Parts: sequence; C-alpha cells; structure tokens
Amino acid sequence: MQPVKRKLTIIAQDPAVRIDDRIVTEQVEVPYERLEPGPWGHRVQIIDYDASTDHFETPPSKGFYGKKTPVDPFQHSDNATLLTDPQFHAQNVYAIVMRVLSRFEFALGRRVGWSFRSHQLKVAPHAFSDANAFYSKDDEGLFFGHFPGRNGTIYTCLSHDVVAHETTHALLDGLRERYVDPSSPDQAAFHEGFADVVALLSVFSLKHVVGKLVDRAQGAGGAPGSSGPSDRIMKAQVGRDELRKSVLMGLAEEMGSELSPIRGKPLRSSLDLPKSRTLLKDDPEFLEPHRRGEVFVAMVMNAFLDVWSEQLGTLGDEHTTSYDRDRVVQEGAGAADYLLTMLIRALDYCPPVHLVFGDFLSAALTADCEIRPDDERYKFRKHLLKSFDQYGVMPTSKGTAREPGLWEQPGPDLDYSGIHFESLVRDPDEVFRFLWQNQEKLKLYPHTYSEVLSVRPCLRVGPEGLLLRETVAEYFQRLEVPASELARLRIGVNKPLQMKPDTTVKLYGGGALIFDQFGRLRFNITNRLDNATLQNERLQYLWDYGYFTKHAATARPFAALHRKRATGAYTRITEQWL
Amino acid sequence: MVVMAAKPASVSIRSYQVGFGDCFLLSFGYGNAAKPTSERHVLIDFGTTKLPRGADKDQMVLIAQDIAKRCGGKLHGLVATHRHRDHISGFATTKGSESSGSIIASLNPDVVVQPWTGDPKAASNALAPTTTDASTHKGFVGSLTRMQAVSRLAVGEAARIEGWAGVRLLSQIKFLGEDNVKNPEAVRNLLEMGKKAQHQVFASYGVDSQLGSVLPGVQVDVLGPPTLLQSKAIKKERQKDANEYWHLVEGALATTAGPGPRASETAQPLPDYTHWFIPRVRAIRASQLLEIVQSLDGVLNNTSLILLFQVGKTKLLFPGDAQIENWSYCLFEAPDSETRKRQLEDVALYKVGHHGSLNATPKTLWNGFANRGAAKSPKRLKSLLSTLPGKHGSKQKDSEVPRGKLLDELKAQSDLTSTDDLTPKKILHCEDVLLKLA
Repeated sequence: MQPVKRKLTIIAQDPAVRIDDRIVTEQVEVPYERLEPGPWGHRVQIIDYDASTDHFETPPSKGFYGKKTPVDPFQHSDNATLLTDPQFHAQNVYAIVMRVLSRFEFALGRRVGWSFRSHQLKVAPHAFSDANAFYSKDDEGLFFGHFPGRNGTIYTCLSHDVVAHETTHALLDGLRERYVDPSSPDQAAFHEGFADVVALLSVFSLKHVVGKLVDRAQGAGGAPGSSGPSDRIMKAQVGRDELRKSVLMGLAEEMGSELSPIRGKPLRSSLDLPKSRTLLKDDPEFLEPHRRGEVFVAMVMNAFLDVWSEQLGTLGDEHTTSYDRDRVVQEGAGAADYLLTMLIRALDYCPPVHLVFGDFLSAALTADCEIRPDDERYKFRKHLLKSFDQYGVMPTSKGTAREPGLWEQPGPDLDYSGIHFESLVRDPDEVFRFLWQNQEKLKLYPHTYSEVLSVRPCLRVGPEGLLLRETVAEYFQRLEVPASELARLRIGVNKPLQMKPDTTVKLYGGGALIFDQFGRLRFNITNRLDNATLQNERLQYLWDYGYFTKHAATARPFAALHRKRATGAYTRITEQWL
Repeated sequence: MVVMAAKPASVSIRSYQVGFGDCFLLSFGYGNAAKPTSERHVLIDFGTTKLPRGADKDQMVLIAQDIAKRCGGKLHGLVATHRHRDHISGFATTKGSESSGSIIASLNPDVVVQPWTGDPKAASNALAPTTTDASTHKGFVGSLTRMQAVSRLAVGEAARIEGWAGVRLLSQIKFLGEDNVKNPEAVRNLLEMGKKAQHQVFASYGVDSQLGSVLPGVQVDVLGPPTLLQSKAIKKERQKDANEYWHLVEGALATTAGPGPRASETAQPLPDYTHWFIPRVRAIRASQLLEIVQSLDGVLNNTSLILLFQVGKTKLLFPGDAQIENWSYCLFEAPDSETRKRQLEDVALYKVGHHGSLNATPKTLWNGFANRGAAKSPKRLKSLLSTLPGKHGSKQKDSEVPRGKLLDELKAQSDLTSTDDLTPKKILHCEDVLLKLA
C-alpha cells in the first residue's frame, strides 16, 4: 500500500539556533507523492540554479528519496552536511513549502492553487548572491539569496520562517489575487503581516521548538552544559508576562537573526510596540507596509499569549505551584496550531478587494464561529477582539450582542430560480447567473464589468471532527473612467485635488460568497465599488503615495518591498516631479 | 593699498560645461558692482561622469586652467558637496602636475568644505564626529565606503552578464555604478587641500561652514545634510539596519566563486525543464544589480551639502544633489523648519538640484520661491542647471534626467541657464550670470 505521508528532516528555525552546538532539526510530515529529481513534485519544483555564479546544481538521481519506501536521506546528518550540502538545502525548501501548502489545504478544506496558470511553484534555493528572498508571480517562483555572514555563508533557504513567509505570499496571492493591487495601507501591510504570522505560528506549532524555548526560559536544557529539561515548570515562570519575556522574546531574538538587517525583526518589533489605539490612525510611520504589518503581528501574537497563559491557568488551581512541562508545551503548540488554522480559514471570509484589518477580524471571527459555534476551548474570538481593539481596530461588521464582529447574513428573499446546485458549487457561469439575478439585493454596482474569479467547494473539518461543507466564490467588479468623469457617476467618489482630469482612475469592488451545503447563500462579504468613503480614502492614499505614476509599476513588488525596507528608502512622493 | 568693502556689490557665477556633473565658480565682487576693485572666489564642485559630444578630451584640465585664470590664481573657498564622481572627479591628481586636480590644488583655497560624511576620522575614530552616538555615525560613514565598493562589484558583475539583460539596463547599471565608485585620488586631494587650508570643515545642518570668514559680508548657512542625531529615532534605527545591509550586499557581490562549473561554459547541456526558468533567474539578477546601484546612488546624493549664500537681501541656493530625504530635515523636521522655509522664500538664484532629477527639487521648496514668475517679471528667479540628457533615468519610467516636467517649469518660471544649451563652439562654460547685490 502506498504511504500517505513522507517524513523529511528540516531545520526547525534557523541554522544559528542550536542545542549543545547541534543545529535544531525536526522531522516533519508532508504528503507523499512521486518525486522526480529536484526534488520535483506535483506542486513544487526545486531548480537549483545560481545566477551569480551561473551554476546549475544537478540533483541526485531518481530514488534518492526511496523507490517504494520513503527515505529521509538527511535524518542523521551532522551540522556540516546540513549547512553545506545543496541537496539538503533543496530538501529543506521542498519540505517547508509543502508543509505550509498542506497546512493551508487542511485549514481551507480543499486544494489551494497558485496565482499563475501552471501547477508547480518553481523554487531556486540559491538563486543569487544577495541579502534578499522573495516571491515573484511573473516568474512563478520563490527565490532565495545567499551571502557571507559572520560565521560563514548565510543561506536564506535554510531559515524556516523565511521560507514559510515567502510561501505564504505565494499562497495568499493564489487565494486573493487582488491583494497585491494598490489599495489601502492596511492591504499592503496585510500581505507582510499575515506572512509573518503564518511563519511564526508554523515554527511555534513544532513541539520541539516550543519545548526548547520553554526549557530555556526555565534555565534548564538548551544551554550548553545544562542538566537537561525538568519535568515540572514553576507556575510563576509561565505567567503571561513571563511567557512574553522569556519564550516569545527568546524566539524573537532567534528568528532569522542573521537576516534582521533585511527583514527586520517583525516579532521583536511587534512585541515592543506600545498598545495604542491611535498608532495606525495618526502616526505616519505606520503607513509604511512593514511597520503597519508589525502591528498586525502584535495584535495576533498578543491574543495568542493571552490564550496560552489562560490555558495554563486551567492546569491547576490557586494551590498549584508547578505545571507538567509537557502540558505547557502541548498547550502552546496546540494554541498556535488552532490559531493558524483559524487565521488561514478566515481568508475565505475576507472580501476579495480593499482589505482592511477590521475586515480580517470579522472574517476570522465568522469563520471560527461557523466551524465551532461556541468559543469555549481557547476563547480566541474573545481574545482577538480585545487584542485588535487595543490597537484601535474594530471588526468591520457589528455582529450580535452574543457574538460581536460576525459578518451579517443576507436577507431571505434571494432569487434561486433556475440555479442548479451541482453547477453552483463548481461553475463560475452559474455563480454569475446567481449574481445577475440578485444584482440589486446583493448591492452590486449595476453598470460595469463584473467577473466571477473563482468557485471553490470546501469540506472543512472542525476541532471535534465536525464536517462543514461550504462553497466559496469570489466576484470582482471594475470600472475605469477618466478622473474628470468621477462626478458624473454620482456615487460620491471625488478625484484628489491635484490629479489631472485625464488621469485614468480604476475603481474596484467585489465580494466573497459563502454558500452552505444546500447551495443557499450564507454570507456576501463585500467591499463595494460604489462605497464612496472607502474609494475616496483609497484614491487619496494612492495619490499621496505616487501609485498613479509609472514609478509605481514594478515587476517584482515583493523584491522591491524587501529592499526598500532594508535601505529605508521610503520617500515623500508628493514632493517629486511625477 | 586696496581696502575691501564691508560687503560685496555683485556676484558673478560661471557654470562650466562638465556634461553630466557640476562645476560652478562664484566670484564675489567688492567695490563697484560693474567693475569690482577686488574679488573673492568660491568653487563649488568639479566633476563629470560623461562629457558632452564635441568636448575636448582635456576638457577638465581646460576648465581648471580657466578657473585658475578667472580667480587670479587664488581660491578663497572650495566646496565638494558630496563624493559622487560627477561632483569631484576633477579634483583627481592622477596625471601629476598637469592634472585638473593639481591645478585646483595650486589655487590654495583658504576654506575647504565637505559634508560631515566625508570626515575621514568618522570612519576610523569613534570620537568623531563629536556626538554622543558616534557608533551610529561611524557605522553610517563606514556603510558609505561599503556602498562604493558595492558599486564597483556591481559594475564588474554587469560586465560579466552581458547578454542576460537589455543593453539599456546594463548601461544604466554601469553609469550609476561608476558614478558611485570611490574616487580615491580626488578624495585624497580634497583632504590634502583641506589640511593646508585655514579651515577644513565637515559640515552638517546648522554648523558654521567658515566660508563667511573669507567672504566679508556674506552669510553662508548650511541647510543639509542633517546628522543622524538630528534624524528621527526610527530613521536612526533603520539606519543601523541599512548600514548592516550594505555590509551584507558587499559580501554577497564579492562572492563570485561557485561550487562548480559555470552553466554557460560547460559542455553539458542544461536539463530541458530548466530552459524556461533559468533565463528568468538571470533577468532577475540583472534587475537586482540595477536596484542596488539605484538605491545607493540615492543614499550618497542625500549626503550632499545644501548651502545658502546671503548678501543683504539677495540669496543664492546651492543644494548639490540633495534629494528629498536630505531636504526633509530642513523643510519639515528641524525645530526651526518654518523659519528656514521663510528664509528660502526670496531666493534670487537657485542651482537646480541633482541635474534636474525628479526628486531633488522638492515641490514645497519650489512652490515657496516668491520670485518665480512669468518672463520679464521684476526680480525674476534665476536658475542654473548643469546636466546632460539621456544619461540617467528613462522617459518610459518618468525618471529621465533632467525631468521634462521640471524643465518646463524652470523655463516658464525662471531665467534658466543650462549647460545643455551650450553649442559645440562655446563648449567651456555658459555666459556668467551676474547679480547686483542689494
């Protein structure tokens, strides 16, 4: 019988993170598949070409990963092999990309495609000698640089969080292709912040990593010469503040420390952020995508800390002085895993255009409530609401008194006549017919181009094995007019003062439709094309930041974004002669 | 015996034809405005990265000789706004006593002014510049040195990958890269001249340039660059990252030895499945090199001195290549930025920043000039531009230098003197611009 899973060794965090001088590795499970040399599977192809040295590394022959029984060739490799063997580097990126992909597929309950037509994401683990790594849609790939560090060459492909971060960009682009459009500061920041959060929680859901961090916080194990981890952990050492200071700060210091000049330290910076409701609104520093993304990371990770420390409180009573070490680890990894699933699932409940943080919060709350009506196990809904509120982010939807923030459901009078259930869950034309029949009730803008971007049937598995069958469809509306004609539309959208009348303005709108297992609409989550407040804010922001210039077009936006962050090259576009 | 008047009655500015570069000689006349009884001369920059067609191959020497002649063998002040080749290459002494740099050195300037980032002690001595956070400054100055090494390496790699990218992209890398390459001969000569001078100043926002000490009646304010201490906390933090980043990039570009044979040289054909992907990785690499040299070009421009000369009510503004990030401190962030903006309102002569690029004449600055106006309006603003079109940026990306929109505005709102208007017959310098000083 063919195996279902393949076990492969990866570097758990970063080659610089070691226990007793050994690089911390972890054997992870990825879906089993036939592998060609590369490794090259049905979704990911590793092509080891280095443009700086013009060198192509020939992959090992077929059978390297086992012919009938899967083999993990680097399970017992020493540090030197892990650091220098290009075949291991290829395996490391393959396994991490596949692991993140399968994590998304599990959370969403379906296959998840890339944003380009081909099925296989190309990955160059040693693409060039540069302090950068990025995803490029046009090139259908992930590109990881390498460069000399303090103690030898730094390979970005060996940093778990870097690989997970870039993979998340690729997956998010596949799920919400319009999120790379110029829109609001929140949308630009979301791509970065969400990728950071997925990377952090991916690392944190590895029990060995959590165990190591907890042990180190205890002062036992981990450090050279230690006597090994203790079975019990003092209660006073795992309070919320202690977890923040010792465990998360410890992780923050370790995460990609060699890469911090390029990528910053999003976790470290987010943990240092003061809780302020005015930060996002009033401080121009937080209009920059990376800075704003750090606030997103802070909001999520603070909720995670709240949940973890609260869970530990349930392990004993007021007389308890210590906890079982494994339970502490288990609760941390379990909470991280739950939160990761919840956040990925939220993507389906996000509007496909013009995302703001409040939309994402409503999406996360609704997605979780759909699969788990009560919030008793972790109370993540309560904690996310509180944590986002501390930074002035309220859910876009009001929700109910019992469940604040949930998206509202549509009215009961939708027209389903002539709609075939079987087609509705698969066929964009059928979904378009549904939209056409219900244009007014769903408040679509009537006089413009509309398109169904995707129709995706899902089978989601709840925490207690509950199955939730849903279909998610995205639609998109677009209107292009000269700025001078905006007033004629009579939707309250105005051109920015200095914009020339003949400038072409593109207005976008769209929604995510969630159909239940009977083909009835559960939610229509929209950001409307004729939402004057949203469109005016967006146009002014884009105008102020120069998105109406030829400068704004860039073939590889993520590569440019990373370099701008590294060089601090953000500028006042309004002062230029564009 | 000639007694020097308390303040100059005129100033004559000569714009030299250096192609893509800057070179201005300011001659302050004392006594009679039309026929000064004595003069004081300040040279601002002397460099080129590309001479125009028709220029003599010894153009820089000819210019140096003309400067020497015009100033009667004595320079009172010398300013090198920043260390880009197009601003300092003329100071190089590579050809011994016949070189343009040697001629300038023989003029024995009394005051030599460079930006604080040019202070050699800042790179090696933690006590300089005198701040409480010298390590940050030291790191920044060190990173500027690294950037110049990065440029050299980027140019070298661009030469190796010809054929991987378009000719235009590669020539852009080469042009920008070479401008940023360290100019050791010129730098050394500037430091030598500084040592011999009465005053060698490494200036930053608000400090005394000492030019006033050799130009009676002239006030010279330094409006940029700010020091890192003057920048916001976040900028300082980012600067530390940027310093480290350039260090990494330098190391990365220096890595040319691969683990095996070069794919384009080996007889072994690459596997078919790589044929679509490998050209894309190569194209990415070429774009990366351009991004790198573009980034560091901007950083060095922002170390440029911004000098405001003031005689009575007449003001002359020489901002070198300062871009908006440099200007930001003076215009928006400094405690006295509102006063500075008012001070700049009645500028009579403006040397156009960075050869007319899109981001070196901040709109806040330009819109604030009260003397802008239609032709023949009284006290109309005069502007000087030293540039060579077709060498920097591209029209396709709205980044050509000089930027068309800015050029139109300069022509419409000021009396523009541009080295680009020089004919091959009159190739050495533009007609001197003469201002009678109130």
